[in-house]
Amino acid sequence: MKLQVWGSRGSIPAPGPETMRYGGNTSCVELTLSDGSTLILDAGTGIRNLGAALGRKESIEQPIHILLTHLHLDHIQGLMFFAPLFRPEAEIAIWGPASPEASLRDRVARYISAPLAPVEVRELPSLLTFLEADALEWEVGPAKIRAQAVNHRGPTLGFRIEDAGTIVSYIPDHEPSLGAPLVSCEDEWISGFDLAHGASLLIHDCQYTDEEYPHHIGWGHSPMSDALEFAQRVDAERVLLFHHDPLHSDEFLDELAAQVEVRWQELGGRDIVIELATERQEFEIEPEAGAAQVESWEPQATSRNS
Amino acid sequence: MSAQRPLELILARNLLSSLSTPAFLVGEGGTLLFFNEAAGALLGRRFEDTSVLGATEWTSTFGPIDEQGDSIPYESLPATVALRANHPYHGRFSIKAAGGIQRDIAASAIPIVGLGGSSGAIVIFWPVEEGTETP
Repeated sequence: MKLQVWGSRGSIPAPGPETMRYGGNTSCVELTLSDGSTLILDAGTGIRNLGAALGRKESIEQPIHILLTHLHLDHIQGLMFFAPLFRPEAEIAIWGPASPEASLRDRVARYISAPLAPVEVRELPSLLTFLEADALEWEVGPAKIRAQAVNHRGPTLGFRIEDAGTIVSYIPDHEPSLGAPLVSCEDEWISGFDLAHGASLLIHDCQYTDEEYPHHIGWGHSPMSDALEFAQRVDAERVLLFHHDPLHSDEFLDELAAQVEVRWQELGGRDIVIELATERQEFEIEPEAGAAQVESWEPQATSRNS
Repeated sequence: MSAQRPLELILARNLLSSLSTPAFLVGEGGTLLFFNEAAGALLGRRFEDTSVLGATEWTSTFGPIDEQGDSIPYESLPATVALRANHPYHGRFSIKAAGGIQRDIAASAIPIVGLGGSSGAIVIFWPVEEGTETP
């Protein structure tokens, strides 16, 4: 799989000269699968630039799958500005968490509707489907995808994507240590553990510094030390720290990156790449030789299409 | 890979571990998944020393008994009713703590139902004095 980060900021876009390097767009990651098809993780404001890139193609021949972890604005705000939504030939499937309160389509439509938007979901010319993805495993092209609820505010999913021997785990909004320090928990009692275990690449929340976190307990995000401890517990082979706080400038994040290195060593972490996600960053995701074991499983339930 | 517990059970356990009210967490099939420090104080044993117990095991260990001293069938316990009927249930009975001490308690069980369906129950309990009334 190939990865490109289109937005790594959390909470609200943070454009400006002080965030030029890490970027100001909110959550959006593009995965190019081994067959060349596109999987998009979240639709924060970063998806606008991704849509522009895809829109330069004469036609969009393969279906586009967008996996929404949850419907907080920083994860859906770019959706209405995703150019393929306005291409009649584009086939787009949007996956997201179920809720007992309303269908995924109706919940997204609260944003893509008056008075917040000039268009309604029903007016979008693309072939658009909404699929609720709780506790499901399914396939998109060559990829096997698993969704599971994780600890954040409101119904929120994390995703595990397996393709051609590599595993990407995407848990951008996550507070796994809420109520109990990770060190005191057995694996089975850690939110997100199964999604991230043995991942070739773990993309994980690291919104706060350890000093900031006590003022934000219960807000659904991780401090640096918890993000690293989680990465160590799940034995990730590479880690991309994600969902940067909008108040954190490039200079601040550089300092945080240095603290990450020190803290990882203190935790006794093995020699792997751990870095802060940067907008437009792209790389191939490689399985660690002999390490990434992709477990076989059969897709289970069918999705609920709204 | 571990068989990770459903998120609602993880959150319930974390909540109970933060409470000073004695409480159990029961999973599918009545398995005792966790009890907090306050419950441990009442039972006279720590969860870390007991760990996960099957339904038969924990009911025989803690011996819910009625006023006549007879064992209460597993099917009649608040946790079981909450799990099976999927609604809250309240009861009053006695338990056997460590050292053979008998304690009268009131217990309220609340089912835990996530998007995937029922996954367990929280049982909150507290000691009651003889002759006192509980709601």
